[in-house]
Amino acid sequence: MTTASTPVRPAPPVPAEAARGRGGRRRRDNLSGYLFLSPWLLGLLGITAIPMLISLYLSFTDYSPLISLGEANWVGLDNYRRMFTADPSYWHAVRVTVIFAVVATPLKLAAALGVALLLNRTLRGISLFRGLFYLPSLLGGSVAVAIVWRSMFNREGAFNSFLGWFGIHGTPWVNDPFWALPTLMLLAIWQFGAPMVIFLAGLKQVPGELYEAASVDGAGAWRQFRHITLPMLSPVIFFNLVLETIHGFQGFTAAFVLSGGTGGPVDSTLMYTLDLYIKGFTQLDMGYASAMAWVFLVVVGLITAVLFSTGRFWVHYSDAEER
Amino acid sequence: MELKPDPRTLKPQLSRRSLLAGLAAVPVLAATAACGDDSSGSDGKTELSFFWWGAQARADLTDKALALYTSRHPEVTFKKTWQANQGYFDKLATLTAGGNAPDIFQIDDNYIAEYSGRGVTLDLTPYKDDNKLDMTKFPESLWKYGEVDGKLAGAAFGENTQGLVWSQTLLDKAKLPAPKTGMSWDDFISWAAEVSKATKVPGTQDPSAIYQALWVYLRQNGADLYSDNKLAFDESHIGSWFSLWKGARDKGACPTPDVIHEGNATDISKQLVVTGKAGTSWVWVNQMPELKKNTKDTLGVMAYPGDPSAQWARASMYFSVFKGSPHKDLAVDVLNFLCNDPEAGKILGTDRGLPSNLDVRKLVADTVTDPNMKQTIQVQNDLGTKFGPTSPTVPPKGHSKVKTELVRIAEEVTYGRQSPQQGATAFVTAAKAAIGQS
Repeated sequence: MTTASTPVRPAPPVPAEAARGRGGRRRRDNLSGYLFLSPWLLGLLGITAIPMLISLYLSFTDYSPLISLGEANWVGLDNYRRMFTADPSYWHAVRVTVIFAVVATPLKLAAALGVALLLNRTLRGISLFRGLFYLPSLLGGSVAVAIVWRSMFNREGAFNSFLGWFGIHGTPWVNDPFWALPTLMLLAIWQFGAPMVIFLAGLKQVPGELYEAASVDGAGAWRQFRHITLPMLSPVIFFNLVLETIHGFQGFTAAFVLSGGTGGPVDSTLMYTLDLYIKGFTQLDMGYASAMAWVFLVVVGLITAVLFSTGRFWVHYSDAEER
Repeated sequence: MELKPDPRTLKPQLSRRSLLAGLAAVPVLAATAACGDDSSGSDGKTELSFFWWGAQARADLTDKALALYTSRHPEVTFKKTWQANQGYFDKLATLTAGGNAPDIFQIDDNYIAEYSGRGVTLDLTPYKDDNKLDMTKFPESLWKYGEVDGKLAGAAFGENTQGLVWSQTLLDKAKLPAPKTGMSWDDFISWAAEVSKATKVPGTQDPSAIYQALWVYLRQNGADLYSDNKLAFDESHIGSWFSLWKGARDKGACPTPDVIHEGNATDISKQLVVTGKAGTSWVWVNQMPELKKNTKDTLGVMAYPGDPSAQWARASMYFSVFKGSPHKDLAVDVLNFLCNDPEAGKILGTDRGLPSNLDVRKLVADTVTDPNMKQTIQVQNDLGTKFGPTSPTVPPKGHSKVKTELVRIAEEVTYGRQSPQQGATAFVTAAKAAIGQS
């Protein structure tokens, strides 16, 4: 990378004395570099790395928040054994979470892509629309939105009043064991703003010549989408898929607020992370909750790895081919 | 930091590099400086942290009572924190885990065994024995309800008992009779079905998920919830309890399952009798004033159906002192003041239950002006004359989980996903697991 205004100068030969001085300065540079890093580094160590290691240790103990770390008894693999063999609510929570992630993630991505396609044009006031569609994501994990959701989808909620205009008698969505989870999914899907913005940026990168060439060859809108947009966008789709899948598995706030922290009605919204929270903080079984957290980390890591390995077959990096 | 003289002014000047390096170190220094904070300052003042759950009304009363203590002991101040019941125990556990448990905290029988068993609460027995914490005026069953495995884990702060609250306004509209203490469960359900029919408002909340209702029912049928830290009931009791309420739902005495769930999930301010979604709610007698605050309806209160002698005087809550508190003696003195001082008693009224100290209770009964508190006292004193001779001991560790499992499984039955019999089997298994009974 050279530019015309700054010609590269050949490095002058360095005397031995000066080189040592430079090494000393480099050490000092490193020191101030680390000092600059320190707020982040301390955060990483103090708030993430060390607590994670401690929780790994706790997952082999019967630790409760009411005792000190030293008082916890080592129980070996008991927590893990109990999780896989003796805790029905665990497998229930796994099921709820998988259903949530598998249904909500693709729908959210589809909504994001669809709206991004609609917004990828030059119109007066288009940025206003983009802003409006992004807005729900800004409110994102907020408790307030979940509370509004709960009252909207109640028996007397706004949504049922709306259905009432068409003579439809709605069910109490959030208090119905069948519909509570779909209501939760709808909330997640509605917050499609973040992947949408990334899709929009991706769409803008697709070279217009490709479409021109395709339409000269007589390709219609669908074929253009299928054979130009999708392949050109696949790295962005992949990125969003990985991110939103992880997101989907981690869903907590909405489930917590919608169910009043219980995962109800009858455990229909008992997401994995919510079950973990209840075990750790309400039932004070923090050792067990730590074990759940580690299994979760490993499984989400595995799922991400699997996604990456399938990426080879469908993700198309245009620059790789040009080389 | 190296300082280089500026050739023009000859004043020492920071080099840019060392300035920046120094700035980067500031947060680190600030962080270390922030440690080592001492709560009891060098000026002889002591600040006690005090944590409770409740609503605004309770906060106002507690503020006033603590201010009275400070006015008598100007060297003692309080760092008060309060919040709604939901999430309170999550917060308390988190504070405890961080070694920052409050000096004094409110707790109830859901968790007191857990906290005492884990050594979080100070054993108050020695203080009680030398009357630094005077419990001589407490009914014996009441202070004993704070004992866990021989240790006095908390000072019972208030007495209550089960109360079934109904809306008199609703009954008046349809000119229906009020329910009566002592009526049988079947009569009560027929009454509720009649209310539903006449008023189009479901007659009663379904209490099948409400543990204190089940508890009374068990005691009326020769069983109990626990004895000796084991379950004191079997599947047949639970099966007939769930069947009783399935019958009631089939008769139209109760709301639809989603409304029942709503009532089970909500806090005291949105009980169905308050929101007008059912004719009754199953609560504790001392919660009447809080219910009244949230409705214009006239409310009545009585014992749960069946033989009222199965009910008992329960410690509605306790105050406990943190074992690791640096100011234990002082904290106990504050408890003693709150329990036994007549002025403090008059301020606090019956908000947390009838005062534990019988002299204070009488004084409050004679002087209270709040009509809702007056009614609470009268109802509870009436019921008190009907209580049987035995009252349950503190529930064992895992009780809060038993409650959660009851809600979950009872709702499985109300939503029709399990039969009463299946629910009974599931609940006994789950409850055994919850309290660690093999």
